[in-house]
Amino acid sequence: MLRNVALKSLRDIRRGFLWWSLGLAGFVALIVSVWPTVHSNPGLNKLAQDYPETLQAFLAFGGAVDYSSPAGYLGIELFSLMVPLLLLVAAIGTGAGSIAGEEERGTLELLLANPVSRTKVVLEKTLALVAELVGLGVVLWLALWIGALLANMDISAGHLAAATLSAVLLALAYGSIAVLIGAATGKRTVAIGLTAAAGVAAYLVNGLAPLVNGLDVPQKLSPFYHYAVGDPLRNGVSFTHLGVLVAIAVVATALAPWFFSRRDVAT
Amino acid sequence: MAEVIRAEQLTKSYGQHRGIVDVDFSVEAGEVFGYLGPNGAGKSTTIRLLLDLIRPTSGRLSVFGLDSRRDSVAIRKRLGYLPGDLRLYERMTGADLLGYFGNLRGLDGAESGERLAKRLDLDLDRQVKELSRGNRQKVGIVQAFMHEPDLLVLDEPTSGLDPLVQETFYELVAEATGRGGTVFLSSHVLSEVQHMADRVGLIREGRLDLVDSVENLRAAFTHVEATFAEPPPADAFAAIPGVRRVEQDGAVVRFAFEGEIDPLLKALARFHVKALDVREADLEDVFLARYRGEEPDAP
Repeated sequence: MLRNVALKSLRDIRRGFLWWSLGLAGFVALIVSVWPTVHSNPGLNKLAQDYPETLQAFLAFGGAVDYSSPAGYLGIELFSLMVPLLLLVAAIGTGAGSIAGEEERGTLELLLANPVSRTKVVLEKTLALVAELVGLGVVLWLALWIGALLANMDISAGHLAAATLSAVLLALAYGSIAVLIGAATGKRTVAIGLTAAAGVAAYLVNGLAPLVNGLDVPQKLSPFYHYAVGDPLRNGVSFTHLGVLVAIAVVATALAPWFFSRRDVAT
Repeated sequence: MAEVIRAEQLTKSYGQHRGIVDVDFSVEAGEVFGYLGPNGAGKSTTIRLLLDLIRPTSGRLSVFGLDSRRDSVAIRKRLGYLPGDLRLYERMTGADLLGYFGNLRGLDGAESGERLAKRLDLDLDRQVKELSRGNRQKVGIVQAFMHEPDLLVLDEPTSGLDPLVQETFYELVAEATGRGGTVFLSSHVLSEVQHMADRVGLIREGRLDLVDSVENLRAAFTHVEATFAEPPPADAFAAIPGVRRVEQDGAVVRFAFEGEIDPLLKALARFHVKALDVREADLEDVFLARYRGEEPDAP
């Protein structure tokens, strides 16, 4: 695990990965275990559909609010908020820590005394972030798939994978932005704060757009829009929308070495 | 001899901190260059420029004839660095840390690191967070020396080391220069620099004040220690030509002077002298004489 910067960075987050995995899997298990009760109670769906539009817009993941189907239920309970929230927190933490964390702890100075370019360091650390998120995605998907089997949910493994992939790519987009801000400023709290603020703003813009005039255009710029709008639990992968999330990650990853290579490293 | 480091009009300005201004010097292959100065004078700034951790505001800096910025990776391949403020990965063992850096450097195996650790009596199986300051410093030394670099950049290398380990460290430096290696050493311990360095540069308030060989500097001054039968009056040796510094400790008076000794001898002869010791000045005498009580090495 010490062959290169990417593997060493993965090794550093191995404990965190274990806890995030347990948390995600546990949360999925909890939600799935409640499904039989929800399923046998049609009144709940009636109630939800009477909710104010604002609330429905935030509750649903992609399609309409629907407690009667597994796709609708998992969308509301997991993918509309909690799963992206958990993955984003993990991604932003890792991303902000990758350059800025080492810089604040002072270990970057010794790392950069080795014959590795700053570009290589930031790219390999981004690679570690990708690996972490893919790993968490696999854990999430396995938990969903096994849970759906056990709870007799009628939903395909492919659609569960599509929703998981959307969430992973959303987290990757924000994680890369956190890497970029950390690489550009060297300050972990700035990277976390700015990225989290951007995430909350994008989430709100996407949720409020159906109800507020003039948010149509900003909504299209929100990563959360592209994350959900394809309704992956019902329709599977939407390459166009996921492409936007990938593009955000690619642009942030391309900019990070540029900024990092052009500044002084803090003592 | 080939030039290993060359700084020309090297300037680094920070917002509010002082950096360095128009620093010119060169370091030849195989020599130990001592870089002296009070804290905050610009020693670490110069060193961090060598490592390309920070970038010059103006001027030029080349290492092995390569540009310190453009060719930094190629330079660092041949360089070993011990930072003044050493921060290691707390949760790694010494062996893991050396293994990691060895891999980044493309070293085969951990043999040279293990050999150095053994000489320094360092336990590589313990996590860094469990190590004392001295043992952490040993890890820093091993990672700087293990690839037998052509240039060693050492910032306050012996801080935290006990005297026995310091001796081993001096041996390592001597072996490195014996192989043709060059050492750029920053320190505020003048006796250590005198012991190790061939030439010194003194930086004060961001400007390089003087560069000369240790030999020349010491030859310029003579150290005289006179023991009197009874303490002479405090102002007895004021204004003697050539005397640059007087320090009285009861009946013992120490002088640093340059030039002919005659005026001082005449002045001493006015009192009952019990013993007289005349020898070449230490670097410390030189700097204290030169800067008249300003501490060039204030910690």
